[in-house]
Amino acid sequence: MTDHPIVDPTGHTPAPAPGPRPGLGIFDKELLDRCISCGFCLPACPTYALTGEETSSPRGRITLMRALEAGDLGPDDPTLAEESSFCLGCRACETVCPAGVEYGQLLEQWRDHQWSGPNRPWIARALMALVSRPGLLRLQGLVRRHARGTAKAPVQPVTATTGPDPAETPADDFAGQQEAGPQVSLMLGCVERGLYPGVSRAAQQLCPEITVPTRQGCCGALHAHNGDSETGAELARTLGEQLPGTILTTAGGCAAHLAHHLGRDRVRELSEYLDTKGHQPVGQVTVNGRRARAALQDSCHLRNGLGVTRPPRELIAAVADYVELPSAGKCCGAAGTYAMLRPEDSKKVLEPKLDEAEEADVDYVVTVNPGCLRQVQQGLRRRRSRAKAIHLAEFLALAARSAPDVPPCGDPAQR
Amino acid sequence: MPTGTDLARDLAAIVGDGHVRVDDGALAAYARDATPLFTARPQAVVLPAGTEEVAAVLRYATARGIPVVPRGAGSNLCAGTVPLEGGIVLVLTRLDKLLEISSEELLARAQTGVTTAALADAAAAKGLLYAPDPGSRTVSTIGGNVATCAGGLRGLKYGVTRNYVLGLEAVLPTGEIIRTGGRLWKDVAGYDLTRLLTGSEGTLAVITEATVALLPAPADTGTGVAYFDSLADASRAVAAVIAAGIVPATLEFLDRKCITAVEEYAGLGLRGDAGALLIFGDDGSPATVSGNLARIQEVCAETGALEVTLAENVARADALLAARRCSLPALSRLGSLTILEDATVPRHRMAEMVDRIDEIADRYDLRIATFGHAGDGNLHPTCVLDPDDADGAGRAHKAFAEIFAAAIALDGTITGEHGVGAAKLPYLTDRLGEDQMALLRRIKRAFDPAGILNPGKLGS
Ligand SMILES: Cc1cc2nc3c(=O)[nH]c(=O)nc-3n(C[C@H](O)[C@H](O)[C@H](O)COP(=O)(O)OP(=O)(O)OC[C@H]3O[C@@H](n4cnc5c(N)ncnc54)[C@H](O)[C@@H]3O)c2cc1C
Ligand code: SF4
Ligand code: SF4
Repeated sequence: MTDHPIVDPTGHTPAPAPGPRPGLGIFDKELLDRCISCGFCLPACPTYALTGEETSSPRGRITLMRALEAGDLGPDDPTLAEESSFCLGCRACETVCPAGVEYGQLLEQWRDHQWSGPNRPWIARALMALVSRPGLLRLQGLVRRHARGTAKAPVQPVTATTGPDPAETPADDFAGQQEAGPQVSLMLGCVERGLYPGVSRAAQQLCPEITVPTRQGCCGALHAHNGDSETGAELARTLGEQLPGTILTTAGGCAAHLAHHLGRDRVRELSEYLDTKGHQPVGQVTVNGRRARAALQDSCHLRNGLGVTRPPRELIAAVADYVELPSAGKCCGAAGTYAMLRPEDSKKVLEPKLDEAEEADVDYVVTVNPGCLRQVQQGLRRRRSRAKAIHLAEFLALAARSAPDVPPCGDPAQR
Repeated sequence: MPTGTDLARDLAAIVGDGHVRVDDGALAAYARDATPLFTARPQAVVLPAGTEEVAAVLRYATARGIPVVPRGAGSNLCAGTVPLEGGIVLVLTRLDKLLEISSEELLARAQTGVTTAALADAAAAKGLLYAPDPGSRTVSTIGGNVATCAGGLRGLKYGVTRNYVLGLEAVLPTGEIIRTGGRLWKDVAGYDLTRLLTGSEGTLAVITEATVALLPAPADTGTGVAYFDSLADASRAVAAVIAAGIVPATLEFLDRKCITAVEEYAGLGLRGDAGALLIFGDDGSPATVSGNLARIQEVCAETGALEVTLAENVARADALLAARRCSLPALSRLGSLTILEDATVPRHRMAEMVDRIDEIADRYDLRIATFGHAGDGNLHPTCVLDPDDADGAGRAHKAFAEIFAAAIALDGTITGEHGVGAAKLPYLTDRLGEDQMALLRRIKRAFDPAGILNPGKLGS
């Protein structure tokens, strides 16, 4: 046998044996090392689908992260800045990665570094400031009283587990006293309570046993995804203390973030919760006298982060004709603050989905996350589409209202 | 060679502004593929939209002596797309149109950036089968498959990509566009350039369109698993299966180290006490499938299998195939530097080869697990290293040199399906001999007089 040196005949040498190479410590080494660069994640990535370029693929982004960690690319490198922001953070890459790379974690660490201080987009900064200030959240509560939800059923008074706070009680729809219920607390969600107050009302109608503590802050997902994972973790822990028992959320993004910090067992997204308690939706949603055709738009973090896909589909199918859109599992482009930070790219990601909805001639696109709701709603409006976007909670409540003799929770004793 | 900005300007004049990248980030991202340990940055990355643009880029590069490395999805494991001498990485992902699927002629025609899975799924939707199925099918491109002559899990019965390529459209480095072969099963006019380009690893021409043969989709499939005390026993079973006149679609094996790793990773319920397992599967009419699987079951039992079971349903069958497909990632969890190799020996010498691999691994103090396509004698010895092991890569390199030599000594070869690339070029002479190597270089020169296409690979 010929003895082959590491250098091949053409004089090309494989990269030096790795050995311990101290990095800059921006990334958790274990996480970053796990990627074997196989490229299996490429077809799952919506931004790679837009450009076909390695840089905007998960594998390429991990290569960029490695170059940053090793000091091969400077922190001011424009491609690093561009790609850390172009990524939707949808985590579709995680579900297909054979090596189990936790891309979502890497992205948080990347943005912690890349988007620190003044480098953070101002819109993100403004939003983060808004939601992390309890006083401002309370102000949102005020706004909410006048906001219109689709579900117009009267709101139930429920337990204020943490005790009424005189300052905020009047501003909150859910204020009031009742004897202590089972330990399931509804999380209101900082964006949702402002934009879609009807969602938590509907959730409460569906699950009258839950409590809605009045004093509750933001879960911190917004911070974690925008370069401040430390505050994100802190807010999650605080919220965990504020909300006793199981935390019920109507937002996939919040659910995944909270589950990461508080443990999977403490967090339930609405559809998942209804599923485990064996909830049978009542009534049906009709359009012009016929059963409505409804499709689901998955929430990325619910699907890719927590693996919840079946329950929302089954719930919809119970009250309407369920239609599966081919891209249901793919990001809608809302992606937290993405739709505001990169509106053009966000639209490009959304458009094919709207085409599908129109082609399938659905009446409703149902979502399980307020950000996705807003995104799809605006998209459909822009097109003057016949289809409407609606949150799952409100959709089920809408169905329940069509069955006036049966209370929405399906159990007359509870009403 | 023009400097960075001139290069960018000239290339942009050909493919348009948005499709040339010369920024450090892009150059870093295109400096590697799925092969560990090889990186080299290009000077530019260009993404043409069609054949004419490919031709214009190549004419430009030939005139100036700029190296050009064609690239599909970059999922190859032999450093085939690492731009060793810099130059241009020519990315073909924008050539992504599936042009035609013909049920009458049993063929498909696609631009070469289409992924294998997209083509296979489109064929399946018409009740047709595109037989080659590399483990990387969801990501790899038809161009990459043709250029590496990819194999896969159905290789035993259906063979490799080469058997399905009917015709190609390709651009020579000097810019001429040629069409080899065509739509016919029978066509012997001239040298068989279709076959020459198949497996040419981006060193002779850039393939822009492929016409591939399809088959009617089989009505039924079935899968089973057999456990053995040792891989030697499993190999005897493989030989007995073939001797019994059965050529199943799938015969894959995992050694003990792989079984343990896969079980820890995916928890599929595999038997942990076995020394090896064989996953077998067949397709065809329901009667053929059940007949063949029953016969394989018998033969395995006769050759001393510890246990043989058939998958009762599709889900279980998928889980078994998943066991094979997830071998690499399962192993990669043991250490993040994972070097997967690809030696092939005659089927009846597989057990010998595995013993040699184990002995070499022990001697170099390396963890090498082996899995592969038992039916083809195609082994994937996979070395898992801790990246902090300072001289681990050096030891692995020496160990693999011995493994390739052992394969050749057993009448085998240094690669069964992944290609030679830069990673295995040093061993190619051992396999082909000096005279053939010289001929390879003359062929290369005929296609690529300026030597710009994928230098440092085949024909260099
Ligand atoms: C987890 C994993 C599993 C795999 N399983 C298998 C398997 O079962 N069987 C198998 O055979 N391989 C397998 N591979 C290897 C790899 O996926 C194949 O070699 C595949 O064919 C490469 O396709 P690609 O599009 O990624 O090509 P690339 O990696 O981009 O390129 C491969 C080679 O082809 C050349 N090339 C690419 N496109 C063109 C073109 N249009 N014209 C001319 N030259 C071109 C390149 O220059 C390069 O030399 C696997 C890889 C991984 C990571
Ligand atoms: S699939 Fe996972 S291991 Fe493979 S390249 Fe993507 S992130 Fe890396
Ligand atoms: S998170 Fe989504 S957009 Fe970002 S790399 Fe992964 S798949 Fe692509």
